[in-house]
Amino acid sequence: MAVVTGERTGQAPVITTAGLTKHYGSVHALTDLTVDVGEGVTGLVGANGAGKSTLIKILLGLLEPTGGHARVLGHDIEHESQEIRRLVGYMPEHDCLPPDVSASDFVVHMARMSGLGASAARERSADVLRHVGLDEERYRPMGGYSTGMKQRAKLAQALAHDPRLVFLDEPTNGLDPAARNDMLRLVERIGSDFGIAVLVTSHLLGELEQVSDHVIVLDGGHLLRSSATGDFLQRTGSLLVEVVGTETERDRLGEALAQRGLVCRPRGAMVAIDPPPSELAQEGAAHDLIRDVAAELGLGLMRLQPDRGHLEDVFLDGAPRV
Amino acid sequence: MSDMSRPGVIHDLGYRHYDGLREGTPAIARTLFVTGLRHVYGLGRSGKSKVMPFLLLAMSVLPALIVVGVVVLTGLDSLPVSYADYTNQTQLLVSLFAAAQAPVLFSRDLRHRSIVLYLARPLSAPVFAVMRWLSLTVALWLFMAVPTLMLFIGAMLSGLDKSDQVTQLLKAVVLQTLLALLIAGITGLISSVSLRRGFAVVGSVMALIVLTGVVTAVQAIAAEQDADSASTTAGLFSPWSLYSGLANAWDAGIDTFVPVDGAWAVAYALVALLLAAACLLALVARFRKVGSR
Repeated sequence: MAVVTGERTGQAPVITTAGLTKHYGSVHALTDLTVDVGEGVTGLVGANGAGKSTLIKILLGLLEPTGGHARVLGHDIEHESQEIRRLVGYMPEHDCLPPDVSASDFVVHMARMSGLGASAARERSADVLRHVGLDEERYRPMGGYSTGMKQRAKLAQALAHDPRLVFLDEPTNGLDPAARNDMLRLVERIGSDFGIAVLVTSHLLGELEQVSDHVIVLDGGHLLRSSATGDFLQRTGSLLVEVVGTETERDRLGEALAQRGLVCRPRGAMVAIDPPPSELAQEGAAHDLIRDVAAELGLGLMRLQPDRGHLEDVFLDGAPRV
Repeated sequence: MSDMSRPGVIHDLGYRHYDGLREGTPAIARTLFVTGLRHVYGLGRSGKSKVMPFLLLAMSVLPALIVVGVVVLTGLDSLPVSYADYTNQTQLLVSLFAAAQAPVLFSRDLRHRSIVLYLARPLSAPVFAVMRWLSLTVALWLFMAVPTLMLFIGAMLSGLDKSDQVTQLLKAVVLQTLLALLIAGITGLISSVSLRRGFAVVGSVMALIVLTGVVTAVQAIAAEQDADSASTTAGLFSPWSLYSGLANAWDAGIDTFVPVDGAWAVAYALVALLLAAACLLALVARFRKVGSR
């Protein structure tokens, strides 16, 4: 499988894996994964069971891989996992908070378990709880927290010891749209303002499109693609046209353009035009043609824009590998 | 910044990195041990969770105070109960304390899955398990040592022979340590497997109190029937009968149905040590397994 690193040259990768494989009997959780992860926010996308959590647990040294190698922050996962666990933070997907302890006490304790002294742990935990947005409620037992507050507390304990890298496993799970947005903004800030490298998983592509610099797509334990988020969203060469009016106007434009040799199809209220044929390929020719056709038909042009790809397309294009 | 002079403004300093000292694994393990020890007695936890441990401790100290009072006032020439036997007499309280408090250290992290957060940190699963076990062991030992110390102070106040008393005290302390290792292993293992607190408590009560009751009954019947070796053999099957058997063999002031001597003493010591080791190994295996899930 090819190594795809996007445009990450110049700095040492935060995570590198080579042929990483994990099989549970006949279940292949991860197969021959070779990938690099750099600074900033990296999204790890895949359906449930695609191998995202397995990868994180292997990198933390909690699971032994069946084959392959990996390094995290320059440390080998096989021999230096303790050193790795000192430098990384981990926010698991599932519930992991004792209900009878306050977030404040819990985060202090977890910071101490990462090697911070008593007073440093208290100071750091107050700082981190403020950053994740837990205010007065930090002194209440966590059993009474909403899902959003629990996710924040889980995030706080992952950041308590100022790690150089955090693994966030499905941080938006179970959140309502507003809380989901808050969490995503927070993830973005951790990667940019806090300067902590982030590996964040999600089964929702759209979410990671918003916050990550780089996206790794896993499917059934295989690497489907790894590249900068921008590459996923680059122009496809298609055009989108919208005219004033209803579907009738849309279809009139579409039919007229088709007669002039463009391949059109309706998409919502717009006409999607496939990359123009060679005679119209030079800069602006297709745009001029569309403008002229709209004018001839007496239609008001509302929008004429290049179409962009979506992360979802990876699953459509790159037919699942076996 | 120009608005620094305005009072009551909270300035967001932004994210601050930590570049101070980071402790090594031994220091982290020590912190875990101390926190665990405090938690067994409800310290650093809610007020409610202090009630049970301190109530039991008070109940186990009270008879010692009464004994001390009697000895000091009446001027007896020896303690009416030996140090080792005092622990044996209050075994119900010790067992209840272990059964009630072991789940605090061994069930909670597993039930709420916070164990994952510990294992994603420098301490490994085996070190975690050993530290938890040590916390409970020391907590149990303290539980037995406090009334023992009261008795010793009483004995000193009433002017009993010092060297005699010190010898007896040291024997008791060694036996109590062994007993604490055993009980911590047994109740810890039960609590780490049955994650519901209720089940864990009932399981520990079965293992410590009910089983000991059965063993004692068998020992008594066998001794009655003059089947001495059967009686002594039965004593191998409960931590409390191991404790009293060893105390009897070592002349620490506990009477058993049949005196434990010779090879039996060695067998008792071996079984006690093996049982403690087996429980510890099982605990390590249990936490290792949980950690990889």
